[in-house]
Amino acid sequence: MAVSEQAIGQPTERPSRLSRMREGARTLLSSKTAVVGLVIVGFWVFVAIFAPLLTPYTPTEQDYTAQNQGPSADHLLGTDSLGRDIWTRLIYGAQVVLVMLPISETFWLPGGVAIWGVAIGLLIGATLGLIGGYLGGWIDEVVMRVLDAMMAFPVILLYMIIIAAIGASATNVVLAIAIVGIPGIARLVRSLALDIRTRDYIRAAELRGESIWYIMFVEILPNARGPIIIDAMLRVGYAIFAMGTLGFLGLGLPPPSPDWGSMVAKGRQFILSGSPWAALWPSLAIASLVVGLNLFADGLREESLRYQ
Amino acid sequence: MTEDILQHSPILKLEDVAISYETRYGDVEAVRQVSFEVHRATTFGVVGESGCGKSTVAFGIVDFLGANGKIVDGSIKFQGRELVGRSEADLRKLRGDQIAMVYQDPMQALNPSVTIGDQLSEVLTTHRGIATGEAWKKSIDMLNRVYMPDSANVMKRYPHQISGGQQQRVVIAMALLNNPALLIMDEPTTALDVTVEAVVLDLIEDLKRDFDTAIVYITHDLGVVARVCDYVGVMYAGEMVETGSVEAIYDNPQHPYTQGLMRCVPRLGTTKESSRLYPIRGRVPAPKDRPKGACIFAPRCDYATDKCHSEHPQLRDIQNGHRARCFYSEVIDPDAWEPPEGLVADVPPALGAEEDLIQVSDLQTYYEQASRSVLSLVGLGEKQYVKAVDQVSFSIPKGKTLGVVGESGCGKSTLAKTIVGLEAPSGGEAHFLGFDVTLPLSNRDLKLIQELQMVFQNPDSTMNPSYTVGHQIARPLERFRTVTKDSVYDEVIRLLNAVRLDGSYYHRLPRQLSGGEKQRVGIARAFASRPELVLCDEPVSALDVSVQAAVLNLLMEIQREYGTTMMFIAHDLSVVRFFSDYVAVMYLGHVVEIGPAENIYAPPYMPYTEALLSAVPIPDPTAEQKHIRLEGTVPSALNPPSGCVFHTRCPRRAEMLPDGGRICEVERPPWQHNTDEHRIYCHIPLEELRKLDPVVTAV
Amino acid sequence: MFVRDYMTKHPVMVEPTTSTVEAQGIMAETKIRHLPVVETGKRLVGLVTRERLRIPPAKLSSLNVWEITRFLSNLTAKDVMVKGKDVITIGPDATLEDAAQTMAKHKIGCLPVVEEGIIIGILTEVDLLVQLADLLGVGVPGVRVTIRVPDRLGEFAKITSAIASRNWGIYASGAIPTPKQPQSWDIVIKVRHAPKEELIEVLQGIEGQQVIDVRET
Repeated sequence: MAVSEQAIGQPTERPSRLSRMREGARTLLSSKTAVVGLVIVGFWVFVAIFAPLLTPYTPTEQDYTAQNQGPSADHLLGTDSLGRDIWTRLIYGAQVVLVMLPISETFWLPGGVAIWGVAIGLLIGATLGLIGGYLGGWIDEVVMRVLDAMMAFPVILLYMIIIAAIGASATNVVLAIAIVGIPGIARLVRSLALDIRTRDYIRAAELRGESIWYIMFVEILPNARGPIIIDAMLRVGYAIFAMGTLGFLGLGLPPPSPDWGSMVAKGRQFILSGSPWAALWPSLAIASLVVGLNLFADGLREESLRYQ
Repeated sequence: MTEDILQHSPILKLEDVAISYETRYGDVEAVRQVSFEVHRATTFGVVGESGCGKSTVAFGIVDFLGANGKIVDGSIKFQGRELVGRSEADLRKLRGDQIAMVYQDPMQALNPSVTIGDQLSEVLTTHRGIATGEAWKKSIDMLNRVYMPDSANVMKRYPHQISGGQQQRVVIAMALLNNPALLIMDEPTTALDVTVEAVVLDLIEDLKRDFDTAIVYITHDLGVVARVCDYVGVMYAGEMVETGSVEAIYDNPQHPYTQGLMRCVPRLGTTKESSRLYPIRGRVPAPKDRPKGACIFAPRCDYATDKCHSEHPQLRDIQNGHRARCFYSEVIDPDAWEPPEGLVADVPPALGAEEDLIQVSDLQTYYEQASRSVLSLVGLGEKQYVKAVDQVSFSIPKGKTLGVVGESGCGKSTLAKTIVGLEAPSGGEAHFLGFDVTLPLSNRDLKLIQELQMVFQNPDSTMNPSYTVGHQIARPLERFRTVTKDSVYDEVIRLLNAVRLDGSYYHRLPRQLSGGEKQRVGIARAFASRPELVLCDEPVSALDVSVQAAVLNLLMEIQREYGTTMMFIAHDLSVVRFFSDYVAVMYLGHVVEIGPAENIYAPPYMPYTEALLSAVPIPDPTAEQKHIRLEGTVPSALNPPSGCVFHTRCPRRAEMLPDGGRICEVERPPWQHNTDEHRIYCHIPLEELRKLDPVVTAV
Repeated sequence: MFVRDYMTKHPVMVEPTTSTVEAQGIMAETKIRHLPVVETGKRLVGLVTRERLRIPPAKLSSLNVWEITRFLSNLTAKDVMVKGKDVITIGPDATLEDAAQTMAKHKIGCLPVVEEGIIIGILTEVDLLVQLADLLGVGVPGVRVTIRVPDRLGEFAKITSAIASRNWGIYASGAIPTPKQPQSWDIVIKVRHAPKEELIEVLQGIEGQQVIDVRET
């Protein structure tokens, strides 16, 4: 079918970075689902960043006079079995997950455990996927079989094996999240690469004698960014779940780290005895953050599809 | 005589039909003021470029407009009955019994999981309540009527087991089973090879006569219209701008747009130097930019006056039922037309004879086919090869163009990819500029790579969507260091101008460009490194005819300016004729005839070339063209025929060779030299071939 | 001269549920007087004619103004059509003469052509009239001669051999018994590319036959 020659609207010069960002923001905000998701995630990021300002307590402060209490004037969401304020622990927990990566006692990196885990997984997984998808042949076979092997383990089991092997600390949890995420990301990127490499502009690049790394990272990868970003968001959600599960199993960040999973683990015992708060609030927090990320990803996907 | 007295009313009559689509931005008018009539046993062609609304009209007749399309004005009368506003139930009945549609892609009408026989009989059993056995028999009869070979067996097969041309025949058979009064065909042969298309077009003619059906035939191909249609309606930007008999429209077009179209269609038989293709300047307006109170073609018309910009012309009778939507039809004389300034640049005279730039001999590209046997799992099975390119030899002198023509599967694309290095050859030699080009890309010197570039077919995938136009043209400049770092920007602008795009395109992204513009950027990118040889793989096949003209002119200009040698791959014989100095005809991986263009289009012909030329629809209803049709389909390249690969379908060997042409089955033909440069791959002696008449004799 | 080759294929048709108002409109638009009524698969179930669309005066007089409009607007093809079994039809392999005879016998103006219950065309009196005219070559330039011959074997052959001897051809011909004269037949032939005088001379030379009319067309 012949391609239409209809006149297309014309910008005359390169739109500035600001206007491109504005354009991007407008696209994002026009999807209701994305906005809702953004609000939820934004809320957690906000409270994580401004944690010290939002609560008079510290996450480790224990008050034996106020154990397992429900929501009250003093404690917004109640206290846990050691008298620690749940709200405080929640927002400091959000910090660890989303905003701050504690490498050691004194040193930390911006971006939380979940974010780092997914980022590193993305880096390695995307590279593997590109190599397999673009180069094909026996290299692809080898890569795929390795990934298959990794995927053969149930996720939780894999986490447990890794943590058991290298110990539980923030950085190790990051590594675990990365390792577990690699196969899924690699597969996704590989299938995208398989499709994109059939395009003529890849042929044109080959005809310029470009190196395979150039073609993979400069020509192919930017055109796959849509699905990859959306997948990454979902993986942050999975990572949070995973941290929660690890914490629940006692394999997560070492206590007294306020990660939500451990909170649920500790608070579990008291549900039936009338104070479910220690378990309830962190569970809801995990759920809300994952839902928020999912909604945001969905909204992005809707918008990107509509654009095409 | 009888016809004059028995004036039947038209089977289909459209009056002032307007169709709109609902979109996020409000209602968008797709077509308006469309009026025409179709009588029984005639074919009415609706012709126009993409986006003109011709398919919308076709679908609108049966109200297949989708959830957001609606007919907002006008009347559509089928057999005197108004269709607009009819209930879906009524329309469905009509669609089943009396109106049938055939689409471009036969798989849209065929269920891939049901046998052909079941699908055909189902039409009869559900609509007419005929018993299954009887329906089966009638279906076989119908398959025979559409000249389906081996019809009884085809009934038991599934759609994917027969070829595209045969699928289309099945769809036509299905459409005719209920003997509809009206048949709507939407580009039914566009996706088919030329020789297959010719057979299907013949079929449509036959059937029209036998069944007395009224046919509405939608197409963009002016050659097909000339062959198949009795009356024509030309559409532009949603309006019907001219209607009339096919002879009147081709011989004496009245609307400036039709006149422009006639000027940009390549016709078989014209030479490169003597006639240029003249594109129509400007672009088709988008639906929301179509003014209601002015002539819609005025912005692109060479004759537009103030009246044209302020008043909307009606479709009026010029002469004998020939109607046009123009105020000045009687006054405009198309023969006196002069191209406006800057439409086509002056062309310096062609270079004289030069020495060969590239020489290819006995090139072979075989693909290994994964065999299904268990033995092959352990590496012991027999290897099968798809012989995509087999023993191809040719050379191209510097500065000339070699056109490579053939139908799908003939290996022309593989040949181009092999030369350029995207595929590795399995044998043979190829020399270019002192380099050996049988090496794969990874082993080639950067200097060599720089000199061999390619223009691709599909405008949508030729550019990387994530980078700007400027960046993509600059990249080869940077990579090959064609100019210094500081001059890159200027050079990009210069290249953009050379392909007739202004500097503002530098910052645009591919999605902001139209198809023709993307192709131009592709050309700029290919020529950026000033290569010695450019291979163009069907560069204009995906473009509208008026845009094709512009891009072809552009390629010619650039070639002349830089002295580049070109290899031009196409399936459209008329385009290749216009454009090439030499032509090679390929069939099933072999070159079967090669030589200067004038020699290919005139006798002596290799029988396949002759068949190809007689199959091409010529945009001139009065031209006389031989009627040679090939039986069967192209054999599989996995198992090509022995001896001469064309022997299974050759129409000439039985009559022109002793023994019915036995030798063709057994022995490979020799190369017979008609002249120094023209050779034919055939057993039939040259003197015999020379005696044949030319395929086309224009009036 | 079979019905199949001369019928009008794809006749205009309506369904039983089509209103009579619409049917009238269709007849006016397409200028036809007979409208077959069909069901799915073009199965013929009835025929609507102009006469049938007229309401019997007896019925009319019993209704008042308001009722008339409602009555009229509710009428469908089914209500006014000639019912299926009463519709005279003909098969596609019948000859034109059979069709003519059927039409005359039943005093009808049109014959739906039906094959296995499905309507495939329609033949009207006008179609037959046109064919009759064509049969004798109306409108074609030539010489039309009427010859009266005795009712005997071999008379026709005499004419044809006379024409053949001069290498002329007979473009059209017809023969009927002379009206009101038993034992006599009138044969009409149309000859082209033959000079009128010579032709008359040749024909007058045939024994026992009489040229009774000659015209040039």
